[in-house]
Amino acid sequence: MSDAPPDVLDLFRIDAALSHGDLWLRYFELGGMSTGLQLEAYLYGALRPSRHDHDIIAHALNERFVELGGNHPVPYADDEIGDEISDDVSPGPGPGPS
Amino acid sequence: MTPDRALSDFSVAASFVDGQVILALEGEVDIMSAPEFGAFFETMIDRGHRSVVLDLARLRFMDASGLAVIARGADRLEVTGGTLTIRTPIAMIGRMLAITGFARLVELEPGQSAYGHLGPEQVADRPPTRSYGMTKGITKFTSIHSGDELIDGALRMAVALAGAAVGGADGVSVSLRRRGVLTTVAATDGTISSMDANQYETGEGPCVDASTEGHWFHAESLERETRWPAFTPRARALGIQAILSSPLLVEEHPVGALNIYSLTPSAFSVRDQELAAAFAAQASSLLSDAEASLNDDDLSIRFQGALRTREVIAQAQGILMERDGLSENDAYGALRRFSLGNGRPLYERATHIVASTRRGPTDPDE
Repeated sequence: MSDAPPDVLDLFRIDAALSHGDLWLRYFELGGMSTGLQLEAYLYGALRPSRHDHDIIAHALNERFVELGGNHPVPYADDEIGDEISDDVSPGPGPGPS
Repeated sequence: MTPDRALSDFSVAASFVDGQVILALEGEVDIMSAPEFGAFFETMIDRGHRSVVLDLARLRFMDASGLAVIARGADRLEVTGGTLTIRTPIAMIGRMLAITGFARLVELEPGQSAYGHLGPEQVADRPPTRSYGMTKGITKFTSIHSGDELIDGALRMAVALAGAAVGGADGVSVSLRRRGVLTTVAATDGTISSMDANQYETGEGPCVDASTEGHWFHAESLERETRWPAFTPRARALGIQAILSSPLLVEEHPVGALNIYSLTPSAFSVRDQELAAAFAAQASSLLSDAEASLNDDDLSIRFQGALRTREVIAQAQGILMERDGLSENDAYGALRRFSLGNGRPLYERATHIVASTRRGPTDPDE
C-alpha cells in the first residue's frame, strides 16, 4: 500500500488551483468519459479509477502544473504507484451507497 | 455486513465532559434515522443540558432531515441561552453546513473530534473519510451536466432548513421566475404551493412583490392587511395569518422569493426575520453560483472548445492506431508521453499529427 492519503489527487487539484468543474472540463477535453461526480469520487479516493482514467486525470493536472511553470508531479499508473491502480476498466470497490 | 444493515447504520453515543454533553454520531443520518437522532438530541436539551457538542467525525452522510434536527436543536438551545458546537473533521460536511447557513447558527470546530477526549487510539485506526451523498447535489454547481434539478434540490433543502429553523413557520416555499413566469420550485406542502399559486393567479401578494421589487414584504397579520385585496381573502380562507417574503437576488436583480407562512398572527419574531433574510441570502448565493457556472455564455464556449480538443485527440489516437498498429490505450500513452517529455500540451501534439496526415503520409517526428 502506498502512504498517500486517499484524497491525494484532490490535494494535487487544490495545488493546481483548479475547481472541480475546471478539472472535469480538462479531463473531458483529454478524452475522459466519467461524469463530474465520478471524477470527484476518484479525487477523494472514494472510487478507484481505471488505469486509463487515472492517467487522464494525472495528465490534466500535470499539464496545468506545466502551465503554471512547474514540472509534472502527479504520477501515472505505470509509475511507482502502478500497483495501486486497478488494471481493468470497471469501477473500483468504492463505498457506494447502501 | 448483515442484510438489515441499511436499517441500523446509525448510532449515537453521549459522553459528558467538563459540563458539556458530547453526542458522537456514527453512520448515516437520513429520513430513517433522523427521528432517532432528533429524539436523543431533544432528550438531552429536555434534561437541561445547555452546552451540546455534536461530533460528526464518524458520520458518513447527512441529508436535509438531519440538518433539520440540528436546526431545531440549535434554535431551542439559543432560546435557553445554550450553545451548540459542531465538531467535524470531515470537510464535506463542514462545507455543507457553511453553504446552508448553519455557520451562523452554531459554532463550527473543523478538524477537532470528541474522540480525542475518549482517547486518540480510538481514531488511530480510522483515517478521515470524505462524505458522499446529498452534499454532492448542493456543491455540484460547477459541473456541466448539472442543471435546474440540482438548483431545485438545493432550494428544497433551503426550504426544509428554513421551516425547521424559523420559529413561527408553518410552511415555507421558494418561488423563482423562470422564462418570465413565477413558479414554485420547492414547498413544504400542498397548502403552501397553493398559497403561492393564488398569488401568481391574482398577480399580487408578498411573494409577487418581493420577487418583483427586490425587497422583503412582511404581512404581520392578514386580518389587518390591505395591500393585496384580491389575494388576502384567499390566504385567510386557507388559515394563513402571517407571511414573510424575502427576495432572492442574483447580481442585485430579484429573481424570486423565499416565502414563510404562519397560521398564527404576528408569528415572526425579529430573530425569525433575521433568519429568513439569512436563508434568502444563502439561496441567492446558490442561485448566483449556478447562474455563473451554468448559464454563462462563457461556459458554453469553453465546453465547445473542450469538445473540439477532444475530437482532435481522438482523431490523432485513431491515426496512431491505424498507422502504428497500436491499441487505443497505447496510442493514448504515446501522445501522453510525448506531451510529458516535451512539456507541451497533449492537444498540440494531437493537432500536429492530424495536420501532418492531411499534408501527406510522412511525418518526420514519428
